[in-house]
Amino acid sequence: MVPDAEGRIQRLLSLIPYVLKNQGVTVTELCNVFGVSRAQLMSDLDLIFICGQPDYTPADLIEVEIDGDRVFIRMADYFARPMRFTAAELSGLYLACRAVVELSGPPASSALTSAMEKIAGALEGGTLSEDDISKSVDIHPPTPEHGITAELSSACAQHRVVEMEYYTYGRDDIARRRVHPLSLEFGMGHWYLRAWDERSGDMRVFRVDRIKDLSVTAEEFEPPEEEDEESPPGPYGVTASGGIEVRLRFSPALARWAKEQPIFSQTKEERGRLVCTLRTDNLTWLERELFKYGTEVDILAPPELKERMRVRTRSLLSIYQ
Amino acid sequence: MNKAERLIDLIAMLLEAQRPVTLERIRNSIPGYDQATMASFKRMFERDKSELREMGIPILVEQLDPLEDVQGYRIPKEDYYLPEITFTPEEKVALLLVNRLSSEEVTPLSREAAAALRKLSPDLGDGSRLGQTGSLHWRFAPQREPVEGLTLLLEAAVGQRSVRFVYHSLGKGKAREREIDPYGLYFERGAWYVVGYCHLRKEIRSFRVSRIASAVELANPRESGPDFSRPPDFKLEDYSRILPWEFEEGAEYEARVLFSPRIAWQVERDLGDVYRFETAADGGGILHVTVRNEDAFLDWVLPFAEDAEVLSPRELREKVRERLLRTLDKLGGEGGA
Repeated sequence: MVPDAEGRIQRLLSLIPYVLKNQGVTVTELCNVFGVSRAQLMSDLDLIFICGQPDYTPADLIEVEIDGDRVFIRMADYFARPMRFTAAELSGLYLACRAVVELSGPPASSALTSAMEKIAGALEGGTLSEDDISKSVDIHPPTPEHGITAELSSACAQHRVVEMEYYTYGRDDIARRRVHPLSLEFGMGHWYLRAWDERSGDMRVFRVDRIKDLSVTAEEFEPPEEEDEESPPGPYGVTASGGIEVRLRFSPALARWAKEQPIFSQTKEERGRLVCTLRTDNLTWLERELFKYGTEVDILAPPELKERMRVRTRSLLSIYQ
Repeated sequence: MNKAERLIDLIAMLLEAQRPVTLERIRNSIPGYDQATMASFKRMFERDKSELREMGIPILVEQLDPLEDVQGYRIPKEDYYLPEITFTPEEKVALLLVNRLSSEEVTPLSREAAAALRKLSPDLGDGSRLGQTGSLHWRFAPQREPVEGLTLLLEAAVGQRSVRFVYHSLGKGKAREREIDPYGLYFERGAWYVVGYCHLRKEIRSFRVSRIASAVELANPRESGPDFSRPPDFKLEDYSRILPWEFEEGAEYEARVLFSPRIAWQVERDLGDVYRFETAADGGGILHVTVRNEDAFLDWVLPFAEDAEVLSPRELREKVRERLLRTLDKLGGEGGA
């Protein structure tokens, strides 16, 4: 079957029990839950409306009622429950749960462990290939202790002001800050805290493993109105904006690697070598960054960066003389 | 008539049937089948039946009457229905978090996980439904690797099937087609890797999935496998925990690196579970690190700049000095202190 048709049948078989259990649910909610457009959802409901039992007289058909934005379904008791999981769905769910347990730690991890036990129990063992998956997949948590994310999570939930000592990679500087934590986001292999920063009076993204120390204060803050749910996560890492234009040329040996790095997204190939252009508001982080590449990089601009690297390299050399 | 309508009608009829339903009755009842001749109806029905079974719908064939040779079909409710599960509010919230991870396709089989969660969704009600997660303050960014490739690699590892793909290794080499026997996958610092026996290099290697430049395909699609058997002593952790400077052969030795109080806490947090870390009174500390690939080690340690000093061995200190001198030379500066 074409995947779309199969997906549609699967969706209908979950959609009907969802509405049966949540009569009067809004169209918007259904679109969100099932990840479809309004037009698609309406056409799904139209389809359900003409299905039923033989002889398909009005008395045999499933009843679908759309009242304003609210959806009701009746006469479909045989679809009261969704279909059981397939083996792949069970494996996928198990794996996704394991990933959340590993990546986010508490409080989700203990709740998920018990949820998975319930699911496995209800399916009487089913075909849960837990063993195969444990042997075949290894998921490593990002660096910070789960204790930090758990503390930040409860601060987010309770709208508590957090005081922290934070290492800013961009400026190579540790400073105390007071922030209003809003969400924890996982991206590029790290947890990030999105928070309103009192010092700069602006929203900031902090890498959680660079929080040296933190305390959740008793002070509550007013959460911003309607945190826009749809705003994409990130950006993470060094913000690629500012008044200084930097141009670097990587040797062929590093060209491919450099291309993979989000900060070097603006690139041009030059006989196997890669010229990257980026913008920044300070050069401090670049001095450190450039030590990574040794002799495999040429600094094309600005001249100031080259001079700073000369000074920095001499200073580092003095340790080893 | 719409095929989806025909299939939903068929499932509904077979679910509700008290007794097995004959082919004759199916044909006469469901409008979607009525135009076909008996022969073409049978072909159509067989196709529908196998598609539904592939989706996991348990269609049983049963003898209708012990004395007569007539077969009928039904879907036993107890095999079809997902048992009702009661979750605590905490469990519901945690499952919504899993739903977020799946919708960003972070793990293999993410789409299947999302389908499973949709099936569970009637049991996740009470205002914390799948679509209403505004209060949930944990989020996941989408993963770069295509989920189809991850899923195929996982299924191949579990089913012990060899795979083929075009791989761009780092460095100057051109992308080449590889055949590997995948033993497992790991997720480290935001990237997925597949570990397996590489037929090109004739050894076990790790491949970063984002560097796969083609679709992942089974190497022997016409066979049913398994194509290989995973060595019984293979342990995924032996590969997944290898740091870049431990890659490659070359003699292994221990280096000692002193970190300043400004930075030591970060290093300890990052590597304290892998290597011995001696904390000093001033907040700094010494990391005892295993080195096999010196270039990769220098790539890691030098960006700490004056906050890290390689203490020993002497030969490694000399390597640091040489690299810094070469760097300075390239920058057009003069060596020496």
